[in-house]
Amino acid sequence: MDGIVEVKDLVVRFGDFTAVDGISFDVRKGEIFGFLGPNGAGKTTTIRTITTIQKSTSGSVRIDGFDTHSDYLDARSRIGIAQQHISLDNDLTVRQNLKHHAMLHKIPKDRIPSRIEEAGAIMELGQFMDHKVQDLSGGWKRKASIVASIIHEPSVLFLDEPTAGLDTRSRHMLWDLVRALNRNGTTIFLTTHYIEEAESLCDRVAIINHGRIIALGTVPELLDLVGSVTVETTDPEGRSITHFFRDRASAKEFASGMEDGFFNIRRTNLEDVFLELTGGRKGELA
Amino acid sequence: MNPLSVPDEIYRVAWGDLVYIKENFIEVLLTGLVGPLLYLIAFGFGIGSSMPGGSSQYVEFILPGIVALTTLSCTFSTVAMRVLVQRLFYMSFDELLLCPVHISSVILGKTLSGVVRSLISCTVLMVAGHLISPGVTIHPLVFVIIIIASWTFSMFGLLASLLTRKTQNLSLFTSIIIVPMTFLCGTLFDVSDLPAAASYIIYALPLTHVSELMRSLMLDGTFPLDSFLVLLLYSALFFSLCYYRIRMQKQ
Repeated sequence: MDGIVEVKDLVVRFGDFTAVDGISFDVRKGEIFGFLGPNGAGKTTTIRTITTIQKSTSGSVRIDGFDTHSDYLDARSRIGIAQQHISLDNDLTVRQNLKHHAMLHKIPKDRIPSRIEEAGAIMELGQFMDHKVQDLSGGWKRKASIVASIIHEPSVLFLDEPTAGLDTRSRHMLWDLVRALNRNGTTIFLTTHYIEEAESLCDRVAIINHGRIIALGTVPELLDLVGSVTVETTDPEGRSITHFFRDRASAKEFASGMEDGFFNIRRTNLEDVFLELTGGRKGELA
Repeated sequence: MNPLSVPDEIYRVAWGDLVYIKENFIEVLLTGLVGPLLYLIAFGFGIGSSMPGGSSQYVEFILPGIVALTTLSCTFSTVAMRVLVQRLFYMSFDELLLCPVHISSVILGKTLSGVVRSLISCTVLMVAGHLISPGVTIHPLVFVIIIIASWTFSMFGLLASLLTRKTQNLSLFTSIIIVPMTFLCGTLFDVSDLPAAASYIIYALPLTHVSELMRSLMLDGTFPLDSFLVLLLYSALFFSLCYYRIRMQKQ
């Protein structure tokens, strides 16, 4: 697969603070790429820089072969972004917002009405199309915002915490949408706090911490970084400790001297990897 | 960049704001006219009646000044506040910067709504003024000046919103620049009566030249080229500063 997003030695500084510290990675055409990191790790700054909202200090970004600095109009025409915040005009209706987005992305005039209907139908926006955005609930605003980001059928869709604040049904509906868009050829770049979301949706995941990418790979590759089997125990202060093993036999051998009920052997998940690599939990690699 | 694509891009950028004006026309008209009409009543008929020539002569004098003032009052704060809200709360300004449109189109498109508001209010005001005081003529070039002046002050509003990090800071621009300009730039009195030192400062401000242009065109039918050039200079300056500010923010 080709790299549709190519990030090379990207640095973003705000005064003395380095938010993004020389990261390089590719997003392959047609994949769902997850971008995980704790709060303040540099996820949003990275996404804002790649999508040309934020200026970089150094380094380069190419979208579908177009440099976001020198060919920014071509690069932007291939990008769709749904930001963490609802970036719609509250004074306009959903339909008017979608039309405005379509106009700004230079969709031919006669194509706009049908495109609005098609995109709106994906998120079942029909009943709210002629409601002012300010009158919608947070969940429907987010759905409308995502629909606006795909109105021009972008090659790469950036979703920054897309399911934050959504109820379970809406979240699953959004996951289905992400998969459907991806099946239709849209590359997805997804940042999320919900690790099960990344585990369920993403072909590859990058983990960023303190502005640096500390791991990148498929979910099984990331699990292998720490060990695919986990033994959970509790220390005398009652804190949970995780021990990682390459296989179940090693894990069982480790736990053989322990009393039943004081340990738990299970499959390692992405959350374990995330916490282990970002220092969010006390863990031991066996 | 194809120059022919610019008007189309400007319209695409401005569309959302123009829809807002269309759907809230009465509100837009009232908010744009109440201030200027109060100036006309309070100063023209109130203070003017105690002047040697009576209120009709003073109304004739201040009406072009109030039209000039309207190009500022209808544009600066509305553009500044709307863009600030779109930038800080709706985040739709960021979204706009993501779209494949040129920065020039963003600047001119986001300020077009200010121009439209101002043009509507100024036209109503001039027609009302002409009926009250027939000595005031509506010269065709006045509309050109209204458009350029409104665009200049709208771009100043855009610049203020781009430099501001919270809504409260916007009042600083209003208090330090807009309010003094409102009263000092020859809108309500003749600036040639001021002491020389003060007039240097007053003549450096753009609204003074809009007042000069309006008064000359509406009362004498003459066109002060120097004031027109100063206005164009300010227009170019605000455009360049907006361009630089947006360019600095993104790649």
